[in-house]
Amino acid sequence: MSITSDILRGHTEAIILSHLLEQDSYGYQINKDIMKKTDNRYELKEATLYSAFRRLEQAGYIRTYWGDESVGARRRYYAITGEGKDAYVVYKQEWQEAKEMIDKLLK
Amino acid sequence: MEEKIKQYFNEVFAKAPKTRQTLELKQEMVQNALDKYNDLKSEGYTEEDAYQNVVNSIGDVSGLLGEMEEKNLLNLPEKDRKKRAMFKASAVGLYIFAGVVFFSFGTIGDMMIGGSYFDFATLGLCLAALICIPPTIMLVYAANMYPGYIKKEKQDMVEAYKERRYTDNKDKAVRKSINTIIWTIAVIVYFAISFATYAWYITWIIFLIAFCVQAIVGLIFNLKYTE
Repeated sequence: MSITSDILRGHTEAIILSHLLEQDSYGYQINKDIMKKTDNRYELKEATLYSAFRRLEQAGYIRTYWGDESVGARRRYYAITGEGKDAYVVYKQEWQEAKEMIDKLLK
Repeated sequence: MEEKIKQYFNEVFAKAPKTRQTLELKQEMVQNALDKYNDLKSEGYTEEDAYQNVVNSIGDVSGLLGEMEEKNLLNLPEKDRKKRAMFKASAVGLYIFAGVVFFSFGTIGDMMIGGSYFDFATLGLCLAALICIPPTIMLVYAANMYPGYIKKEKQDMVEAYKERRYTDNKDKAVRKSINTIIWTIAVIVYFAISFATYAWYITWIIFLIAFCVQAIVGLIFNLKYTE
């Protein structure tokens, strides 16, 4: 299990970008989606998630805005930028190549 | 129990730098933690279990808070700060030296050497201007010097991007310095030739030449960069 979560953690940024491609979202929502898609087998630590947000933001791949919920909770949303989309396409291609190679090497 | 969650984050963020970024990060994390807590409770967890679950899933935030500190520009790496201070100090020194040269030559004024007058004041002006070039370049370079990007243990997509951007910045600093040299020399040459020949109606061409030189340098840089 530790190898699995290590590998997954290494792709945190790409996973986030992939989620934001579908729609703007906020931290907890993204983590919830990850849990749902992995049948509750994987959950990001908050610290990992927010570090990834900050790095993506610095790189200009995502931008952030505060939601305008009128009552109580104000959430910070994230949206993917054009640069982020480009980066995601490249990343996915590279991951595909890596996956094929690993599959060939680990028979 | 919700207060207890907020209290937990207060403690986590107690040592963090008091900036807008950290405040926003705290608000964001608290809100998401509360969302999660309420979700867990509605799923049937007891308050205590839900609280433990929320706190456990936060993980180690020291790295995250460390990043916040890194972003603070006052925290340039020690080495870069020293280098910058050195650049600035020597630049000021050179400016003062240029001033001294200018005034001492100026006080000599015109002087007879071997039967003809020699204009020391103009010579002093030219020398002073020449001496001013290096400190100007130093200041431009120091202002554009960015802290070296320290590589983290993992080379992911964002790290690669930041490294690329850092080398870009370094290139830019060098280019700006070169442009400063070109234009300073152009101004000096312009005045020197104009005063020597009094051909003011034509000497402005020097600036066009300087512009061409700048364009050529830019081209060379771009070619080198695309390689």
